[in-house]
Amino acid sequence: MMATKPVIFIVDDDPSIRLALENLVSSTGQQAETYPTARDFLRDCPRDPAGCLLLDVQMPGLSGLDLQGELNHAGIHLPVIFITGHGDIPTTVRAMKAGAVEFLTKPVSDSELLAAINQALERDRLARSDRAEVAELRVRYDQLTPKEREVMGLVVQGLLNKQIALKLNNSEITIKQHRGKVMHKMLAESLADLVRIAERLSNPGSPPM
Amino acid sequence: MFGTEMSIESQHARAAMPESEEHYRAVAEAATDAIITIDSDSTILIVNPATERIFGYSTEEMIGQPLTMLMPEYLRHLHKGGITRYLETGRKHIQWSAAQLPGLHKTGNEIPLEISFAEFTRDGRRFFTGIARDISARKRLQDKQARLARHAVLHAEVSAAISESEKSLRAMLQICAAAVVRHLDAAFARIWLLNEEQKVLELEASAGLYTHLDGEHARIPLGSFKIGMIAAEQKPHLTNSVQLDDRVSHKDWARQEGMISFAGYPLLVEGRTVGVIAMFARQCLELDTIEAFESVAPVIAQGVARKRTLDTLRETQAELAHLTRVMTVGELTASIAHEINQPLAAIVMNGNAALRWLALDPPNLAKARNSAELIIRDGDRASQVIARIRALLKKSPPLKTLLDLNEFVNEVVDLTRSEMVRNNVRWRVEFADDLPGVPGDRIQLQQVLLNLIVNAVEAMLTIEDRQRALLIATDIFDNTCVRVAVTDNGPGIDPQTADHLFDAFTTTKPDGMGMGLAISLSIIKAHGGRLWTEPNNKYGAIFQFTLPIVANEL
Repeated sequence: MMATKPVIFIVDDDPSIRLALENLVSSTGQQAETYPTARDFLRDCPRDPAGCLLLDVQMPGLSGLDLQGELNHAGIHLPVIFITGHGDIPTTVRAMKAGAVEFLTKPVSDSELLAAINQALERDRLARSDRAEVAELRVRYDQLTPKEREVMGLVVQGLLNKQIALKLNNSEITIKQHRGKVMHKMLAESLADLVRIAERLSNPGSPPM
Repeated sequence: MFGTEMSIESQHARAAMPESEEHYRAVAEAATDAIITIDSDSTILIVNPATERIFGYSTEEMIGQPLTMLMPEYLRHLHKGGITRYLETGRKHIQWSAAQLPGLHKTGNEIPLEISFAEFTRDGRRFFTGIARDISARKRLQDKQARLARHAVLHAEVSAAISESEKSLRAMLQICAAAVVRHLDAAFARIWLLNEEQKVLELEASAGLYTHLDGEHARIPLGSFKIGMIAAEQKPHLTNSVQLDDRVSHKDWARQEGMISFAGYPLLVEGRTVGVIAMFARQCLELDTIEAFESVAPVIAQGVARKRTLDTLRETQAELAHLTRVMTVGELTASIAHEINQPLAAIVMNGNAALRWLALDPPNLAKARNSAELIIRDGDRASQVIARIRALLKKSPPLKTLLDLNEFVNEVVDLTRSEMVRNNVRWRVEFADDLPGVPGDRIQLQQVLLNLIVNAVEAMLTIEDRQRALLIATDIFDNTCVRVAVTDNGPGIDPQTADHLFDAFTTTKPDGMGMGLAISLSIIKAHGGRLWTEPNNKYGAIFQFTLPIVANEL
C-alpha cells in the first residue's frame, strides 16, 4: 500500500487553470490528474486514492466546499488544498474547519504550491499509515470473543481484575485468563499499550498521540 | 385665285366641296386653322388669314416663297427630301392626317402644329394643301399637366427622403436637391444650411450640373450674395432673366452656360432660417414650377429640423445608454477581475513550470515549449476579455451586424459567469438549434442581456431556502422573431412595480439609477423588437426580448 505513488488530483472548471496547475505540478516530478468538475472527480477518482486534492473553491454546480463535504461523507480521505481567486475570510474559515490543508490565492507561486503539496502528501502518508494501523488493530480486535471484548472494555476503563470479576459474575481466575488472551491477541505489551489501542479503535479519525 | 374648275382628289373633300368660289373663300377666311396651298416645288401659292395670325407673316411676305420658311431649320431638309420622294414614288414620309410638327413663327419661335395634307392635280400639275392647327394652348395644357404630375412626384420624393431616419442629414438633402433637378428641370440645385454660431451658410447638397460641395460657394456669409440675402431677409428671390438681375453676380458664366432663370427660397422653421434651397434653370420657370419649388422648401426645412432633433435625441440616448452600460459593467467589476485574473494566474504558473522544465538536467524542451504555448493561449484569453470589456465601455457609434444569437448569449454569459458562481446561482442555457442570424448592434444588445442577467442575479440574492436558478434560453417566437428569455426563481415582480418597470428612474436597488430597463427597452425597440416580462411558474420572473428575423434570412 505504501508503494502507491501519490497523485495530485486537480479539480478546476477553468481549463487555463487546470492545465497550468497540471503543468506546474508535473514539472516538479509529481503525478497529476485533472477533472473539470467535482462531479467528474467523485465519479472517476480511484477507490482509495493516495495523494492530495487541489480544489477550486468556486465552481459552478458542486463547489469546492461542497466536494470537500461529499468526500468526507464518502470516506475518501484526501487532504485538500484550496485555490481561490479571491480568498474571502468566511470561505477560508469554513474550508479550514472542514479539514483543508492550505488555502492558496491565485496566482499561486510554485514554492507556495509545492510546500502545500508536500505538506499535504506528508499528511496523507501519515493518515494512511495511521488508517493502516487502525485497520490492523481492527483485525486483531475482530479475533476477540465477545467475552474478551467485554473484559477488554472494562480493563481499559482501569478496573481491577477483582472488580471486573464481581461485575461480570465470574471468578477472578477466569478474568485473568481472558485478560491474558486479550493482551496476546491484541499484541499489547502493557496495560498502557492496550489503553492506547482501545483509544485508537474507538476514535479512528484522530491521529496517533 | 380659286378656280371653280379646280378638282380635289379626295372623295371626302369633293363631297364637301363648295358650289362657289365665294363660298369656299368664306370658309377659308373664317377658318381658325392655317390653310396653305403649295405647288410641287413647295412654293407657297395661297394662304388664308389664319396663316398670317399663326406664323406672324403677312400674306405678301409668304406668297411665292418656299414653304420651308414656315419650318424650323432642322425640318427643311427632311421636307424637301420627303416631298421629292413622294412625287417620285408616291410613298409618304409622314402621316398626312393630324401629324404633330413644329412650325416656325416669324419671330423665330417654334409653334406646335397639328397638320393634315391633301393633294390635287390641275392641268397635270400637282398641288398640295395643308391645314395647320396651332396647338400651343393644348400643348401648354399638356405640358402643365405633365409638370404637375412631376411636381407631385417631387413632393412625394422629398417627403420620403426627409422621413428616412436612417440616412444622414446630408444624404437626405442630396436626395432632395437631385429630385428638384429631375422634376423641375433645373440645371442644378443646391441646399445650404445655416451655421448659426458662425453666421455662415454651409453647402450641404448639390445636384445636376455641379455636384461638388467645396469651392467658392461652400461657405456663404449670412447676408452676402444672393444666397446669403435670401437667408438674412427670409424672402425668396426669383428671376426669369438672370442677365438683368442685380443679384446674379456671375453674368458671364450664366450666359456661357445658358442659364435663364434662378429661384431661391429660405428654409424656415418657426420663423427661423435653417438654410436656403436654390436652383438655376436653362428655361423660364413657369408659375406652377415656382409654386412647386416654393412648396417643397418648407417640407425640406421641417425635415432638417426633425432630423436635427432626432440626432440630438439619439445622441442623448446613446450617452445615456453608454452611462448605464458603464454602470452595469461597474456592477460586474469583481466578476470581470476574476475573468482576467484566471488566465493571468495560469500564465504565472505556466511560466514557473517552464523554468522548472528548463532547469532539469537535461532540460525538457518539449514541456517547456508546451508551457510557452499555454502562456500564449492564456495571454490571448486575457486580452480577449479586456477587448470585450473595452468594447462595452467604449462610446461606439451603432453598428448593425448579423448576429448568431446563441453565440451572442454565450459571450454575455461568459462575462457574468463568475458573478453567478460568486452568488451561488446555478445557471443553465437552452439554445434552439438553427436560429437564423438577426441584424443587431452587438454592444447594445449585450448591454440589454447583461442588464437582464445582473438584475436576475440580484433579484435572487434574497433567496436562502431554495437553490438560486437562472435559465437563459433562445428560441423562435411567432415565426417572425428570435427570442432570448431570462428566467429566475427570485421573489418575482411586485405588481405595484410591474406597471412602471420599464420607466426611467424605476429601481428596486438601493444604489440603482433605474435606467437599465428603460434603456434596454429603447434599444430593443430601436431594433424593431419587444421587451416584456411575465411571472415565472412558481417563483420569479421571465424577462424576454425578441428581435425580428429579416425576411431574406428566413
